Amino acid sequence: MPLEGKLALVTGSGRGIGRAIALKLASQGSDIIVNFFRRREAAEKTAKDIEALGVKAEVIRANVGDPAKLDEMFDTIATKFGHLDILISNAASGVGRAVLDVDIKAWDWTMNINARAFLLCAQRAAKLMEGRGGKIVSISSLGSSFVWPTYAVVGVSKAALESLTRYLAIELAPKNICVNAVAASAVETEALKFYIKEGLMSDTRQATPAGRMVTPEDVANAVAFLCSEEALMIRGQTIIVDGGTSVAPFTAAG
Amino acid sequence: MSVEEEVKEIVARIVHVDKSVLTREGTFKDIKADSLDIVQAMVAVEDKFDIEISDEEAQKFQNFGDFIDYVESHVTEKEKA
Repeated sequence: MPLEGKLALVTGSGRGIGRAIALKLASQGSDIIVNFFRRREAAEKTAKDIEALGVKAEVIRANVGDPAKLDEMFDTIATKFGHLDILISNAASGVGRAVLDVDIKAWDWTMNINARAFLLCAQRAAKLMEGRGGKIVSISSLGSSFVWPTYAVVGVSKAALESLTRYLAIELAPKNICVNAVAASAVETEALKFYIKEGLMSDTRQATPAGRMVTPEDVANAVAFLCSEEALMIRGQTIIVDGGTSVAPFTAAG
Repeated sequence: MSVEEEVKEIVARIVHVDKSVLTREGTFKDIKADSLDIVQAMVAVEDKFDIEISDEEAQKFQNFGDFIDYVESHVTEKEKA
């Protein structure tokens, strides 16, 4: 198995895309640290499903938007394992508002969880990858480059995340750490239901040029590829997983 | 300060309302708190009392009274442990 003996931290992996990534990496032999914030039951279920694949799972609760909690999580990892091979920065949150209605609280909350957490995680992870190399993948969205109604502050945070991915890729290249991002279009998850309910986007659950919605597994497949040795020369890139939506903006789908 | 007073203080600070408007029968909706206010209030209370309030549990709260009772019972549980 390609990732046998590796240890991966997937932030926000209790549900949705994070869960699919955790299971995919586990299916390739990697032990997984399941980080969650709000739903312990979901995280425990993910851990159980990971263990059923024959690898180890460790559940750690932490709000990645809180630097102290994030430090505690990495202290636990450092003490318990002493190293890390893969970091997937997936945990995300957001406030759906028009740009003119974004207040400081909404801005800080979203930026801290979606962008600053990636910076802090990467800094701690790089130390745990010292001398052994590693892979870092951040999870972005098409909203970093395209405009969705009331997605502004999330879109901006994802743009920061993608830019940080490029800077990290160059700074960490001499340490043999590969850093890339995966940006997805609307993916069928609980979060999407929330965005639609909150009026953040219209119900776009229609066919993409590829003929169906992007699934969490589609995103996980791209992440797994970026964590493989085959992707070694891909650095600082944002791989778009959207079934062709972004290159065919004038194609009415569905 | 009692658990009830501390919870009210945290909610008042985060939602920017006067503590006196918070009653056991009141809800987050009454004080026009948005989803971010609610999550932040939950997190602040969790940090303050070193307890965990899952989303599943939080969704069952009908009003601040339920919220306060939940925190009180978990704080007591922790003290016993």
